[in-house]
Amino acid sequence: MKEIFFKSNIWVGALALAIALPIFVVGSAWLLPGTDLWSHFAQTLLPELVSSTIILLIGVGIGVSVLGTVLAYLVVMVDFPGRAWLEWALFLPFAIPAYVLAFVYLGVFDYSGYVQVWLREYLGIPGFDIRSGHWAIILTFVLVFYPYVYMMARASFKRQKIQMIEAGKMLGAKPLRVFWRISVPLARPAIAAGLLVTLMETLADFGVVSLFNYSTFTTAIYSAWGDFRSIEVAAQLASLLVVVSFFLIYFERKARGKAKYYSSDVSNIKAYYAKGLKGWLIFLFVFGVFMLSFAMPLFQILIWSAEVFTLEWSDRYFDYFASSGILTISATALIVLIATILALPSRRKSESKTLQLLIRFSTLGYALPGSVMAVGLLYGVQNISLISIYFGGSSINHILFGSVALLLFAYVSRFMAIAYNSTSASSEQIKPVYGQSAKLLGASRLRLIQKVYLPMMMPGIIAGGLLVAVDVMKELPATYLLRPFGWDTLAIRVFELSSEGLYERAAIPALIMVVFGAIIMLIFNKLDSEKY
Amino acid sequence: MNTIRLSVISLALSTLLMGSVTQIQAASGDDITVYSSRKEHLIQPLFEQFTNQTGIEVNYLTGSGGDLIERLKLEGPNTPADMFMTVDAGDLWYAGTQNIFQSVNTETIKSNIPSYLRDPKGLWTGLSVRARTIVYSTERVNPSQLSTYSDLASSNWNKKLCLRTSKKIYTKSLVASIIHNQGEEKASQVISGWVGNLAAVPNAKDSHVMNAIIAGQCDVGLVNTYYYGQLIEKTPEAPVKLFWANQETTGVHVNVSGAGVTTHASNPSGATQLLEWLSSAEAQAIYGSLNKEYPANQNIDSDKIVSSWGSFKQDKMNLSIAGILQADAVKLMQRLGYK
Repeated sequence: MKEIFFKSNIWVGALALAIALPIFVVGSAWLLPGTDLWSHFAQTLLPELVSSTIILLIGVGIGVSVLGTVLAYLVVMVDFPGRAWLEWALFLPFAIPAYVLAFVYLGVFDYSGYVQVWLREYLGIPGFDIRSGHWAIILTFVLVFYPYVYMMARASFKRQKIQMIEAGKMLGAKPLRVFWRISVPLARPAIAAGLLVTLMETLADFGVVSLFNYSTFTTAIYSAWGDFRSIEVAAQLASLLVVVSFFLIYFERKARGKAKYYSSDVSNIKAYYAKGLKGWLIFLFVFGVFMLSFAMPLFQILIWSAEVFTLEWSDRYFDYFASSGILTISATALIVLIATILALPSRRKSESKTLQLLIRFSTLGYALPGSVMAVGLLYGVQNISLISIYFGGSSINHILFGSVALLLFAYVSRFMAIAYNSTSASSEQIKPVYGQSAKLLGASRLRLIQKVYLPMMMPGIIAGGLLVAVDVMKELPATYLLRPFGWDTLAIRVFELSSEGLYERAAIPALIMVVFGAIIMLIFNKLDSEKY
Repeated sequence: MNTIRLSVISLALSTLLMGSVTQIQAASGDDITVYSSRKEHLIQPLFEQFTNQTGIEVNYLTGSGGDLIERLKLEGPNTPADMFMTVDAGDLWYAGTQNIFQSVNTETIKSNIPSYLRDPKGLWTGLSVRARTIVYSTERVNPSQLSTYSDLASSNWNKKLCLRTSKKIYTKSLVASIIHNQGEEKASQVISGWVGNLAAVPNAKDSHVMNAIIAGQCDVGLVNTYYYGQLIEKTPEAPVKLFWANQETTGVHVNVSGAGVTTHASNPSGATQLLEWLSSAEAQAIYGSLNKEYPANQNIDSDKIVSSWGSFKQDKMNLSIAGILQADAVKLMQRLGYK
């Protein structure tokens, strides 16, 4: 038995190592000779972008934590008008790609957008540039990423024992105090997990920051590559993002501490009832977030689509849709399968520090800008080719470049964090006693996994899968560089049109993506509500 | 459980297979394969026309210029690409330095496209001309106040200027041309003057620059003329107009979109044929009008809307220089805080 565990550890370790390949390729750029580009950046871009990256991370971090947690708490603990449909509607913004939300917001809220035109004409408020300063971009990120925290915190609140809150109430604690002293501390690990994903994604973002012309680390990465054609420096800079993420993960683990709440009891009893004006005020707040983050952008996309439908629509859309669909389904299946293997509870028992570290490494790809990851992968393949040629073999570049296989590999490396977060969270909730009793009953390992672990992990597997599916569908830079001929996706069409300033036409593929993302989120919600 | 697992595995395997199959298809026969950073909606109608006339299929893969150059380099002799097409002289020049192009010097191309729009060694050929010039508000600016790119740095335009980001390759090539024409010292005065005159953070797109002018955030800006064409086609009454810069001096800065035959093309004759066809009057008429650009072939007229803007003197600087000086241009802009 021990031997099998040992062997399987090696296999899992190798798997994790393979997934982390792009990270290692990117990190190995430090072995290349330095260039004077670093000193140029140090004198020009770096000072500003370090401070603005920090401000962005802090702002977005506080924003998503507060908004996600408060919204989750309200829909779980408080009964207010419209609560039932808002509970699932708040998931929907996740279906809108961040870059789409950014161009809609700029179109609506910037100096030349309707809102400011109206403010100037009717209220005489002077116009302002929402792209200067930090608040507008922070707000955009918060509205697009809060569902991560909302999702996690909501699940956690649902599992909190109502008795604890009742006890708090009986002791005379005001609702705010119960929220702050009981609910939030208990939900801390979940909030931290959602926050981690948000911060990693913010760090790696290029679409939103370039529309706002805001400087973050990715600005320097793209400058090194795009302006100075230096892949080495781009990779060196990108590897710093990985280091930052590594620390973020460390702090998340720390925040989680030893907290493991083995509870799967869910109660649907509401702790508080908000009636009358109070209830409607809460409704207004939650509804406002929904409007701003989903309904309004969707409405704008619909208007644009209607304006240019006959011009833009063609049969090609069936191809875009098919490519997006096939890539999304196959990548999701693959990622979830691997994330499940990596997160099986038996792993924890035989956990070695090295294995844990390797698995952690395999999730770091989420912090790399997609484009850097894709080029890292090309260079990884190139290195394997060089080794193969050295030993008398031939290059494998032409077999792998532009193959679906390599693209799927990129998705696995990039989105493992999302799936693993989810599968491991559900795996951690399996009490060790299940494994022990299965062993006492003489069940084989395979049977234990099949009959006990997998069914118990299913909610996490499904949740992870649906989140990954939406993310893969929205993915742009890696798909753009690695896709095979004829595999243009909806996201690529959105990018090609919007990069030429043709937002109305870009709205059509964006609309299709949003609708499908929304359907995926609704399936997610359906499965989720069956769980409770 | 088992069936789920099986279907997952078979799905994964079948996609792998499909990937390799499409790969093979792309490389086979008389077909021509093009890597292009010119967007799909601008090239697909052209290729369709070419296929109708010659029977030769054209496969294409769009991508960002830098990405595709990297991919071509790594694919080396095994690349499926016969042609690389991109939208900036700097990218074309850089691709030329990376041994991605072979030289093509056919008489047809030479007679169709003037020499300053081609690589001196015949590595690449410009296929459309993109003029970058001044755009102004007809409500707040009298065109007599306008003259050159450099003049936009003068204090007359304080808080009245909108520019596109320095990260965009069109800005880089324009600044490279200013360095070439006026020297680095004068260029740095111009850039810092521009930065000081900005009314807003530099915009991500040319279309944003014009929207800002229309909304009154600023009075003047710099755009590629086809973006103006897109705007005017949609809203003919928009209170903005083009002004031809540097007419008394070096002429309007022009850039090209262009293409070349790859070094390791498996179908070089087909690719050359396509390139010649793209330079022909017939293709040039479509090429330009699809995007309201100027034809590179000087024997044909521009699109109707485009010719209504009148003729102008072009800067005849050989466009390879834009490529050579681009890194200097970026360093200059980053030093002077042009975001």
